[in-house]
Amino acid sequence: MGKYTAALVPLKASIARVRVETSNVRTYYVKLPDGLELPKPGQFNMLYVHGVGEVPISVSDLDEESRVVAHTVRFVGSVTKTFELLREGDLIGFRGPYGIGWPMDAAYGKNIVLVAGGIGLPPLRPVIREVARNRSAVGKLIILYGARTPEDLMFSYEYGDYESIPNTEFYVTVDKPSEGWRGNVGVVTNLIKHVDVDPSESYAFICGPEIMMKFAVRELLKRGFKTNKIYLSLERRMKCGVGLCGHCQMGPYFVCKHGPVFPLWFISRYFWVDQI
Amino acid sequence: MSLTGLYVGRAVSLRILFSELRRLGYVVIGYKVVDGVLRLGELNSFEELAHDVEDIQSPGKYSLVSGDFYRHGPDSPKRFLYPPTLTLFKVSSEWVVSVPAYEERNIAFFGLKPCDLASIKVLDKILLGVDEYYTSLRKNLVLVVENCVSPGGTCFCSTMNTGPRARDSFDLAYTRLNDKLVVEAGSELGLKLLNLLEVEPIDDVTYERFEVMMRNASEKARAGFELNGLPEELELRIESKTYEEIVEKCLGCANCNMVCPTCFCFDVFDVPLIDGSAERVRVWDGCLNFTYGQVAGGHFRPDLWARYRHFVLHKLAYWIKQFGMYGCVGCGRCITWCPTGIDLRETVKKVLRGGKGG
Repeated sequence: MGKYTAALVPLKASIARVRVETSNVRTYYVKLPDGLELPKPGQFNMLYVHGVGEVPISVSDLDEESRVVAHTVRFVGSVTKTFELLREGDLIGFRGPYGIGWPMDAAYGKNIVLVAGGIGLPPLRPVIREVARNRSAVGKLIILYGARTPEDLMFSYEYGDYESIPNTEFYVTVDKPSEGWRGNVGVVTNLIKHVDVDPSESYAFICGPEIMMKFAVRELLKRGFKTNKIYLSLERRMKCGVGLCGHCQMGPYFVCKHGPVFPLWFISRYFWVDQI
Repeated sequence: MSLTGLYVGRAVSLRILFSELRRLGYVVIGYKVVDGVLRLGELNSFEELAHDVEDIQSPGKYSLVSGDFYRHGPDSPKRFLYPPTLTLFKVSSEWVVSVPAYEERNIAFFGLKPCDLASIKVLDKILLGVDEYYTSLRKNLVLVVENCVSPGGTCFCSTMNTGPRARDSFDLAYTRLNDKLVVEAGSELGLKLLNLLEVEPIDDVTYERFEVMMRNASEKARAGFELNGLPEELELRIESKTYEEIVEKCLGCANCNMVCPTCFCFDVFDVPLIDGSAERVRVWDGCLNFTYGQVAGGHFRPDLWARYRHFVLHKLAYWIKQFGMYGCVGCGRCITWCPTGIDLRETVKKVLRGGKGG
């Protein structure tokens, strides 16, 4: 088997644990197959359901010691819907990690502002974990998170942990409150007003629906963040993960290979263009 | 690069070249007439090679008439080097992965035009050393190229600097001047082939004729726009409304992608089989297809104009950034085989005319 074929062949992996997050989202903890690198925050893997198909899923948590990697999956498409049937001990196909992750090294010693929308929180969660583990590496951590309804909020069981990380602020909002919701109401970009940091000493990492990211970028630019300090994780159709199948192109970039995390200055020529 | 400079022989000696390639064990692929269209396929005899026909090409139209020079049909070398469907691997119900052994074949393309030679150079940049199937066939690939003395109605190789005369990367390049054959070798193998022919160094009169033919051909194969600065000019007009006007005619059928000799996008399908195993099959895909930019719960290019714009800009602008060359070789197939005759040359000119706000 040559390099290229090997790159596209999934390795067998077993599901160590399934955690129900919301009515249509679950997290699958997978033991990393031997020989694969441990993913970095912001990278993704291709997960394959036997005979059904493959999907690119960001890493939402990872444990270096046990080499268990978490993927948080929302059941929306023909492949992800079959994830609902997967149980602990089931086998899936696994290949990766792919792409370029969050610039943790560049953010060393700076503040980090995370802006997450809906299913955009899981790819940012490893950043929160890393900051918690190595608290002195970065300055202030600000987490802004918005979801459609309180029922759609990811990982609500661990918000207490986020808030107890020293020098960390955590804000959450929903578009549509339900009975008993006492928190913020409105889009996540409304929370950017809470960002009280020196933009020249801070990085912003954004992940969420493209429309939300556009608004978030506008707000951050208004706040004085520079295009080389704003990073976004883009989504596209991805069938290969190695910049060959072409589907993930955004302008001249292959999102799977040159991204999925990009500094804004890289893509600013194309980012605002409708249906690029 | 030419190793030999130009030699002149007789047109009938093409048969000798063909026989020698067969004798050396090559699968010789060239144009033959199938259902009134030139199709690339394996040639078992020299007679099968299309002759005494001419392809008349214009936007959305293709026909064969009798004549003495033809260009090409809807097939390009890509069809053989990067096939439309390919099984990548199979995963058994026990999760044993097996990769099919691809048949090792030594292919010789016979009578390819310079645009298609250029398309192989483009594919090399993307697939060589990356795609095993392509790389294994490419290793021993022989390229016998016929220079274009008479470009067709949709050709613009001259603008794209890919023809009408092949300048490098061939084993042998020949030009038919009536009953004469002007030949040059570009490799050791080409030199061996050339030595089989009764040739002499080209004389001044023939050379003059050859030059005039090539110059005239060159004039014919222009698109009416200049490459100089084109990628940037197109990107500056990325929001041009011209794309919306043009796709009023577009069916979104992706014929342009399918006939393009350099389009490399593929989709994969996972096919469950009756014995509990599953195959992954790679198939050609193209940016004009509706599903190309679709994800579960969203679509990045729902509108046809955006998909067409991606095609145009990828070929003529993004490709430069991705691979350091143009993705278009000026073969004109996307124009000829577009059912509604959308003309890439006209699109580019119209977008440029539209100005930076247009």
